[in-house]
Amino acid sequence: MMVWLILLPLLWASFAFLLGPGRGTWLAMAGLFAQLWLAFALASEIVAGGAVIHAIGGWGAPLGIDLVADGLSAAMLLLTQCIALPLAVYAHAYFKRDDPAVTYFWPLVGFLLAGLNALFLSADLFNIYVTLELLGLAAVGLVAAGGGAQQIAAALRYLFATLVGSGAYLLGVALIYGAYGTVSIHTLTPLITAEAPDLVWIAGGLMMVGLMLKTALFPFHFWLPPAHGGAPAPVSALLSAVVVKASFYLILRLWIGPFSSLTDAAGLVVWLPALLGALAIFWGSYQAIRAERLKMLIAYSTVAQLGYLFLIFPLLASAGALQAGIMQAFAHGLAKAAMFMAAGTLIKATGQDLVAGLAGVAERMPVTLFAFGLAGITLMGLPPSSGFLAKWQLIELALSQQYWVIAFVVLVGGLLAAVYVFRVLRQAFLLAPANSVVTPVPRTLEWTAFVLAAASVLLGLRGVELMQLVGVT
Amino acid sequence: MKRLLVVLGAACFVVLLIGAMLDLAPASIALHAAVSANLPSSGVEHPVTAVLLNFRGYDTLLEIAVLLLALIVILAIGIDSTTDVRPAASPVLQALARLAAPLMIVVAVYLLWVGAFRPGGAFQAGAVLAAAAVLLHLAELLPGWQSPGLRLRLGLAGGFLIFLAVAAGLLFQGALLEYPPEQAGWMILLIESGLTVSLGLILAGLFLLLSRDDGDRS
Repeated sequence: MMVWLILLPLLWASFAFLLGPGRGTWLAMAGLFAQLWLAFALASEIVAGGAVIHAIGGWGAPLGIDLVADGLSAAMLLLTQCIALPLAVYAHAYFKRDDPAVTYFWPLVGFLLAGLNALFLSADLFNIYVTLELLGLAAVGLVAAGGGAQQIAAALRYLFATLVGSGAYLLGVALIYGAYGTVSIHTLTPLITAEAPDLVWIAGGLMMVGLMLKTALFPFHFWLPPAHGGAPAPVSALLSAVVVKASFYLILRLWIGPFSSLTDAAGLVVWLPALLGALAIFWGSYQAIRAERLKMLIAYSTVAQLGYLFLIFPLLASAGALQAGIMQAFAHGLAKAAMFMAAGTLIKATGQDLVAGLAGVAERMPVTLFAFGLAGITLMGLPPSSGFLAKWQLIELALSQQYWVIAFVVLVGGLLAAVYVFRVLRQAFLLAPANSVVTPVPRTLEWTAFVLAAASVLLGLRGVELMQLVGVT
Repeated sequence: MKRLLVVLGAACFVVLLIGAMLDLAPASIALHAAVSANLPSSGVEHPVTAVLLNFRGYDTLLEIAVLLLALIVILAIGIDSTTDVRPAASPVLQALARLAAPLMIVVAVYLLWVGAFRPGGAFQAGAVLAAAAVLLHLAELLPGWQSPGLRLRLGLAGGFLIFLAVAAGLLFQGALLEYPPEQAGWMILLIESGLTVSLGLILAGLFLLLSRDDGDRS
């Protein structure tokens, strides 16, 4: 079953390419629908019977490559497919038929999703590198597609960042292979001990830094705002909601898996990700509060929200930290996709992208603004949203271990998020200037964003199931 | 100054890396033994081909997807094509290219076939095919590509689709890419033949699509 989550997007992506420029929408929709069903079926199978292994070619690791679906991978697969389907419906309504960005949109999205799903399922360090390449290249293509010089410049900068990141990761994998003679995660986990040679420490460091660069963790966030802020809205939503989470998932997977004896012995180094995460929250929020363009504001908010994911690393020894991190990934994924989609609708309707130009949209486009507000509630961490659940658990864990500083960072981050969300809402509720024009937009654009925003809030009520799923190993 | 610091930093890193590599014990797992042991049931006789197409064939499947994707990205960016004003190629070059191209195709087929026993295979064969296409293009015998038509798209994606179809078909009888040992040989040859054509077209496309706007190059 899990193999089809990789094969299906590859299939519909290549057939969409065969059908020709701008074609393949319905093929993609059918594929995405089937993928969503598969992800739910896989998750319920795992909750009932534990992790599932598929030995490709029947060889088994270390000779062959294994695919493993445990609770963590199933949760990430679920998040990806849940966002992809509404987003595809949105994209279909968003792009005009002759928009140059749509020429090869569906093949690129298909390969991107195949890369993501393959990454979440892989249990082989080198195979993960290949999926990272698939993911990175498709994402760069989506940012650049049909854009002007500025957009292509942002895409190129993104390409360099993602290539340096995967290069560092690959060097680390090569060193690990040199030291142990295998790249299978499950074979490596018992082999890597705290007495590992220096080379393994260097390899682990290289892989972590490379993946942090790909996750745009402060101070490696320089490439994210222009790429996510400059791309078409459906692409920004996909990149901010799921693509950056893929490298975070890998950091987490390596941290608690093969490198767990290293991170246990590392002492104070485990605080480094949390420190960078805290800085990301402050710096990203500050830039979002100052941003003049709506999509730049949302992109900097992504930089800030990614910071929360890294606050869990010093807490990982205690039960529940993993769940808090994944809950935050879900909260931010659903809310940020909704926010970028709502922003795209607002920009399309008002014909400009400045926060200052939003006056009066509350009256004209209540559904879209409501979606934006609901997504904002999740980002601020107000109850009953999933963002509240994630932050509540984070604070509770931090306080139980006397880490007051983490709880403080989470609380201040929530306040800062409120500042930039209310900046947009306040502007939207102002009276429209007499000469403003709001062009009507398709309803689909408004309601798909609303569905995802509502999901991000309502997930807070059904969080127990998700946390139970994440706990399955 | 900045450049000097970067060079210095890189040099320190290399020294550190070499130092760490020197005191490394031999790896605890020797995969080449496992490869040799399973070679008879892999369908080919050359260990590299066995690893690429059988033991780790899934990696190769995704690598082909990456190459196809690279071409789609170039198409999606949609570089503006300008008229090609190049001085005409010399007749000597043209005659030579006409002579070399068929030979290169023969070499490509040989490389494909020999891959089962010796170093060679679809990647090398595809690269030779692509080189032939680039040579013909430089000799003005093959025009640059604009946007590919259905036949060309079929050629570009065909190899990947054959590979994907075989992989998925085998999934119904067991695991992904689990060849039955007695049929592995011809299945791998089928995949490699498709890949040779598609890789040749993709690699040539990376050049021929980008060379649309090289009007000022002599």
